[in-house]
Parts: sequence; C-alpha cells; structure tokens
Amino acid sequence: MVNARILVVDDDPALAEMIGIVLRAEDYDVAFCADGSKALDAFHVERPDLILLDVMLPGLDGVEVCSRIRGESGVPIIMLTAKTDTIDVVAGLEAGADDYMAKPFNTKELVARIRTRLRPVIRPSSDLVRIGDLELDVIGHEVRRGAERINLTPLEFELLLALALKPEQVFTREMLLEQVWGYQYKADTRLVNVHVQRLRAKIEEDPDNPTLVTTVRGVGYRAGS
Amino acid sequence: MPRWLDPRAWWRRIRRGWRSSLALRMISMTLLLSTIAAVGVGIAIDLSVRQSLLDARRTQLVTLSQNATISGQRYFEVSAGQADPDLEAVLNEGLRAVANAAATTSGGTTYALLPAPGQNVPGDFANVVSPSLQFVLDEVVSESIRAAVASDEDGRIYSQSTGIPRTDGALAPAIVTGSTVEIRGVRYELYLVYDISDTQQTLSTIQLALAGAGLVLIVLIGIVAFLVVRLVVGPVEVAAATSRRLAAGDLDVRLPVRGDDVLATLARSFNGMAESLRGQITRLAELSSVQQRFVSDVSHELRTPLTTIRLAGDVLRDRTDRFDPETARTVELLHTQILRFEGLLADLLEMSRFDAGAVEMEYDRVNVARLAEDTVAGMTMLAEQRGSELVVIAEGGHFEAEIDARRIRRVLTNLIGNAIDHGEGRPIEVWVDSDQYAAAIAVRDFGVGIAPGDLDRVFARFWRADPSRQRTTGGSGLGLAISLEDAALHGGWLEAWSAPGQGSCFRLTVPRRRGIRLTESPLPLPPESPVGSDGSDALSRSGERG
Repeated sequence: MVNARILVVDDDPALAEMIGIVLRAEDYDVAFCADGSKALDAFHVERPDLILLDVMLPGLDGVEVCSRIRGESGVPIIMLTAKTDTIDVVAGLEAGADDYMAKPFNTKELVARIRTRLRPVIRPSSDLVRIGDLELDVIGHEVRRGAERINLTPLEFELLLALALKPEQVFTREMLLEQVWGYQYKADTRLVNVHVQRLRAKIEEDPDNPTLVTTVRGVGYRAGS
Repeated sequence: MPRWLDPRAWWRRIRRGWRSSLALRMISMTLLLSTIAAVGVGIAIDLSVRQSLLDARRTQLVTLSQNATISGQRYFEVSAGQADPDLEAVLNEGLRAVANAAATTSGGTTYALLPAPGQNVPGDFANVVSPSLQFVLDEVVSESIRAAVASDEDGRIYSQSTGIPRTDGALAPAIVTGSTVEIRGVRYELYLVYDISDTQQTLSTIQLALAGAGLVLIVLIGIVAFLVVRLVVGPVEVAAATSRRLAAGDLDVRLPVRGDDVLATLARSFNGMAESLRGQITRLAELSSVQQRFVSDVSHELRTPLTTIRLAGDVLRDRTDRFDPETARTVELLHTQILRFEGLLADLLEMSRFDAGAVEMEYDRVNVARLAEDTVAGMTMLAEQRGSELVVIAEGGHFEAEIDARRIRRVLTNLIGNAIDHGEGRPIEVWVDSDQYAAAIAVRDFGVGIAPGDLDRVFARFWRADPSRQRTTGGSGLGLAISLEDAALHGGWLEAWSAPGQGSCFRLTVPRRRGIRLTESPLPLPPESPVGSDGSDALSRSGERG
C-alpha cells in the first residue's frame, strides 16, 4: 500500500519540520508549502491525500486557500489555528475545512485527527443506502438524486451516511462528533453545526426548510422528518 | 385620620420640598425679606406722617386757642365793666363765644374754665364746663398740663395730646390747650379740648393705602423672584441633569452655551470638563485595549513555538527507552513543564479574553448534578493519588439549569483541583442543590483552611495560599480569578468560606435561567457545617454520607 501523502501549509519552518518528523515517523509522505499564494500550486503538484493548513499565512490567508481548494476538490483539510475564538474557527469551517486543531496540540491528537480523516470509521453493511430521494453509493462515495450526481466532500458523505444508516435515531452533536470526527472527549459542537449547514446547502431542495437532515430542537439531528 | 391630613406627613413633605427645591427656598427667602422690608418702611412712613400731621394740627389749634383766649379775655373785660352781677351767665356767654371762635373740627370743641389755685374766688362761682366734659374732665385734662398752666407767668398757650372717652369705651383722639384768663381780677384757667378724629381718619386712610401698596409690592417681588429663579435655577437644573448623565457614562452630553454671562461660563467650564474627561477615558480605554491586545497577541504568538516544543517533547518522550536514566528524567521534566506552560498560556489567554470583554457564552440546558458527577468522575483518580475521597452529595431539586456547561465544568474542575491540593488527603465533599431560581455547587475540603486575612485575596490573579505548598494540579495562579469571571458571566456568585484547621468551602451559585437575579443560594456556606462546628464532626458526617 502506498503511503498517504500529506501537504503541510505552514509558514513557521520549525513547526512544519517538526510536524514532518512526527508524520514521517507514522509512515506518511510529507510535502511542505510556506506561502499561502503558492499553496494551490503545491496542491496541484503534490496531489496530497490530506492538507494541514495554517490559518495565518503570508500571501494568502488560510481561510481563502481553503475555500479555493474546496472549489476544486473534496480533499480532507485540517486547519491549524492559534485562535480558538468563534469567528476564526467558524470562518475556517465555513470555508470548507473538515476539522481544526488549536495550537498547541500534541502528537497523539495530530495523528489521531489525520487518521480519522484518512480512514473513515463508518462501515455499512450494504453498498447502497437511501435517504429520501437520495441514493448513497458507499463503495463509490457518490450521492445521486435520480440521474443527477451531487458532489460531497468525504466528510460530508460520512456525515450523511451516519444519519442515513439509522433514520429512526436522533443523533446528538456529541454522537456525530464521535462517529464522524472521531472525537472521544472534546466537544466543539460548532463543527457539527457548520457542516450540517454546508451539507444541507448541497442536498436539500430548500436549505432553509430542510427535509432530509432535520433539526431536533434541543437534542440534535436526524435523517428525514 | 386620613394620610393627607396627618400633620406630620405634611411637615415631612414640606421639609422634603424645602430641602430639595432651590427655587422654593430662594422664592421663600425673597418673600420673607421683602415682607420685612415693606413692613419696616410702612411703619416708618406711618410714624413720620402721623407726626407731621399731628404737629401741623397742634400748631393750628394752638394758634386758634390763642385767638380764642384773646377774644374771650376781651369779652370778659367788657362784660366785667358792666354792673351785671350774674357772673355765671357772663362766663357761660363768654365761653360759648370762645368755643365758637375755636370751633373748627367736625368732632367739636369743648371747654372748661377752672379757677387757678390759690385765687380768691367769688362765693357763687362754680366750675364752668361743657356738658360732654362734665364727668371726664380729670381724664381729659391731665395733671401735667394743669400744673404747667398754673405756673404760667407770661400768658402762653400750653397743649397736650389726650383722648376723650366715648360711650363705647374707646378714646377719641383729642388735643387739649390750656391758657389763663382774668375775670374781675381773678385768674382762671381756660381749657379747650379739640376732638381730632378727622385727622385720625386721614391717618387711617393713609395706613390702608400703605398696607395695600405694600401687599402689591410683595406680590410683585414674589413674581419677579419666581422669574429670576426660573432664569437662574433652570440652567442649574439642566446642568445637574447633564452631570448625572455624564456620571452615568454618557460622555457625549454637553450643556448649551448661550450668551456671555456667568451661566454661559458655567456651561463652558462644564463642557470643558466633560471634554477632558472623555479624552482621559478614551485615552485610558485605548491604553487598556492596547495592553489587552498585547497580552492576547503575545499569547497567540507563543502558541506556534510552543506547539513545536510540545511535538518535540512528545517525540523525545516516545523514545525515552533509548535514553540513559538521566536523559530520560530530563525529558520527563521537560514534558511536565511544557504541559504546565501550556496551561498557563491557556489561562492567560482566557484572562485576556475576559479583560477584553470578548467572551461568548454558549448556553445550554444542563443537569447540574450530572455535570458535577461527570466532573468528579474525571478527577477521582487524581484525588485518590492524594488520598482524598471525592463524595458527591446531591439532594433533590430542580437540577436543570441554563448554563455554559464548558465554563461551569471548568470552574468545578478548578475548585476540586484546589480542594485536592489543599485537602490534606481528607475527604472532599461536592454538594449540589438547587431551588426554583438558582443552582449551587459547593466544594468542601477539610484541610488546613485559608488564613482569615487571605480569604478575600484568594480570587486575586496569581495569588497563592502558600508559595511553599506542594501542588499536583499545576495551577497557573489564575484558576480562581477565571472561575470568578465565569461565575460573573452567568450572573452568578463564587464565594469562599474558611476556618483555620477546619478546611474551606467554595460555593458557586448560578441562576437557573438567564436573566434571573440571584437573591440567595440554595446551599448554605459551608453546607451543613455551620461555622464553629469542629472538623471531626464534619468529617464523620461526610463519612456517613459517603
């Protein structure tokens, strides 16, 4: 099996090198980019399986880089941020980042986050799952409405799949954090909120009146109504 | 008695009005002083008018009496030459002539002819007196004027003010003049009494006019005072209201400046003061925000290198088995200190967020008892390492509360951590209770306690109970300060109790709904262990419950 390739976009050379040391020890291939404006080129050249993206970058800031990459690919993106204030985190998530890590993080967290994003946790028994008028092709990681194909990132696919597999169950945000993001303890429910919004924008006929992924007030979310 | 009739209530109301209203005081003082002045002037005018009127009248009457006396004397001399023996008829006739000559006043003139003392009076002579004077002669003609007339040598006229008793008992003002006449070689005293009621009438009219004028004057002064006070007090009241708004923090209020008078000067000075105040406050706010930014920036800037150090430490720690013992120990020390540094940095950042007011609350409906149990479960290991047993005592109640769970958990973790640090290995109780309005969590330890003088300093930043104490939770010194801020963000309280040798207790009280104002806590402080009960007693009780 070919090692997964990770692109580290960070302008701090010491941190980038250190992350490289940690990741290589875990048998990942690592590529670096220190400039936001060159991140997109690096992405094209390296074709990484996952991107670690610092928010504060020279040239082009991380949030902008994130939304540009998201414009052409669903590759997992984990933001690295020194600020955990809502605005910074939500801006990154809304730009399409799958997850974020607040500095300072440790090696265990780093590796665990990367692993979850590269190897999804949910293993359904059937290859085809239905939710409303949507069809989820588990093997091909594809979502179709009739003949129309809907582009979801791997994370969005995981989120939808988790809900669709148990349509009778109401998922709390904490449950989703555990199943989709692989979090055991830490519970930043903003991750769920933002990604449900993004998901609805793609799959719902009317995102303001969702019918496929509905909110259960005070509890969480469920598939259908 | 109805309230509005109660004189004391009225008195209070008037006093309050008097103290609170400058306008009322100024107008009252003006009216009082001008009344005093008007009455004084009135009395002075009255006295001087009366004096001059009476003087003029007296001079006139004295002249009149003089003429009357002369014409009477002549009459007596003429009639004395005739050989008419009827003296009484002569006298009466003569006196009527005198009185007629002297009759000028509406009140009429009366007369009396008395023999001078020590004169040889003809045997058939009786005092000749006007009928209306008959019985009051001694009252009207006083001793003093009689003495003066009696000792007269050169035919002068004497006069004196007096009063004629009326039938209703009052005295009619009068002037009596006295002179001497000689009839057939005998000296008589001739008294003429003039009723001057008409003069008194004139005086009364003048007095009435004076009083009326005075009253009108006072009313006018009152109106003028009211207008002047309005003119002066009005702006002062505006200034007072503006000051209040300024004090309340509205730094942009200003007084209107009109004209060039003292009020305009006041307004200008006030505005200058407000301007400089705003300048100062803005400057301080800027300074403070610069400082807060600095702390925030420093904390953020430190995070990237700290991440590198943390990762490096982790990598080294994963390879401890390849190092010799000393290097391995060094790596271990490095690791723990990195953790400590991380905690400190996180607290510092949290503090700078509080200072900047940049905190966002994430309210959720949470079961406080379960939150306490979860937190305690997470710390049981640590407590057991120090020999302390953690006991949760949650008696019934409304445990659901609208709180930011992350913050309350952080407060609780911090309180329990402190209790473990200072609990001397004795049990630690975590009490939870709530009522309709509030939920409370109290963490009670039975350690050495906090010195009384230090109790109000425990919430200060970087304050430590005892610098030499061993610490396991690696607190930053900001823990309680952050907890206090977290409690305050909920509109709640964080209070400390301690007794030396009996341990201490920290009680967190938060409202169960946003916006409820706390009045009391569902838990006493300390819970069920009133001040004064000894430590062993409290210990045994906790043992039973545990």
